[in-house]
Amino acid sequence: MVERFRSKALELPDPEHGFDRVDLAFYDVDHSSATYEARIFIGAPRGLARDVGADHPAYAGSFFVFGHDRCYGEEGHCEVPEGRDPFDLRLPHHLEPEAEIVTVTDAVRRLAEGGKRKAPVDVLARGPDGAPVKALAFDRLRLLTYR
Amino acid sequence: MSVAAASATRAPVRLRHRRSARRLSKGQLAHLRQAISKAQRIGDDRGYQYWAGVHGLPLPVYCQHGSQLFLPWHRAYLYLFEKALQDQVPGVTLPWWDWRDHSEALPAAYARARTPGNKANPLHSSPIQPSGRRQANEKRTWREPGDPSWLPSAAQVTQVRANRDYFTFQSQLESLHNGVHGFVGGTMASVATSAYDPIFWAHHCMIDRLWYLWQLDHPGARLPGRYLDLALPPFEMTVRETLDVTALGYDYAAGTAAVPGPRRG
Repeated sequence: MVERFRSKALELPDPEHGFDRVDLAFYDVDHSSATYEARIFIGAPRGLARDVGADHPAYAGSFFVFGHDRCYGEEGHCEVPEGRDPFDLRLPHHLEPEAEIVTVTDAVRRLAEGGKRKAPVDVLARGPDGAPVKALAFDRLRLLTYR
Repeated sequence: MSVAAASATRAPVRLRHRRSARRLSKGQLAHLRQAISKAQRIGDDRGYQYWAGVHGLPLPVYCQHGSQLFLPWHRAYLYLFEKALQDQVPGVTLPWWDWRDHSEALPAAYARARTPGNKANPLHSSPIQPSGRRQANEKRTWREPGDPSWLPSAAQVTQVRANRDYFTFQSQLESLHNGVHGFVGGTMASVATSAYDPIFWAHHCMIDRLWYLWQLDHPGARLPGRYLDLALPPFEMTVRETLDVTALGYDYAAGTAAVPGPRRG
């Protein structure tokens, strides 16, 4: 787990094609440890300050993760099983990774209309006290454009 | 099946109203405190500690977070907890905390350690049973309110309510909900212990209310049949049974006031 992440540049929608809404979807987000806010910046320069906030021009939104703190069971209790049996009707494991969908239309529109065709995404994880937390982990992110 | 079965126009006779925590009358607040206090004194599965423990500790963790069952599971949870309180004080309902109002960190009814009568306020903190503690010395709930930017704004809530897709709405509403847990901090900031804090129930009533309002906003929204038939353990309810709050006997009002009428002779 990390406290910050910078993606490869994502292709932005072409404003000539038009769009009404843009979402940034984070897949398989871990929620097994701390509670934190993931602040999202699109098209920011490298080396964002640790305490950068919503007033930064590249700020696009945030999502919040409600953490389980740590494992309170015995060894193996918090290991999410892989390869779920389709005949297993039990509810998913309580630490099954989650998806987070953040609507980032305004931020993407600003970049796209300013001529940007690609931009990286920075994600910074901060705890309730504002301090960076090493709790950020996800498998993939995807920019979804709708019209 | 429509997910928007809620309707204020066909209220059953005994419908009860969940009210804003900031608009409770003295009598309504007294009833709520009395119900929580009585439930705290019961050590079996009718009591406060049992119900708080269903969410996280002691294991198993039953609550549904980051899952497609977040909204229906918590609606069932609130419903059954409220029923347990009504067994102690008939007619009492859970209030909702509108955290879009950032003018005060927490509603006064929950923020003050003592009541106006100088008794311990059961809405301010709660004991935590030994099997519900993260550490042995965490005997009571505690709060550490943080950055108000973690509280959802009215604009964020409006944006989330505008989602037409139920699952996207649920996911984005859950993220706002997560921020409130983090804002309150302390016991509330962990899935394992949050339900022991009495403010938990008012927070989740707000979430449930926003789902109710979304249902009214989107009467044509539909859900897959397979989803509607999912069970919500440990509760003996399915998703389908949580959709209509009036069938569960409640709705959401800002506040209520009543006076007696002429009795039938």
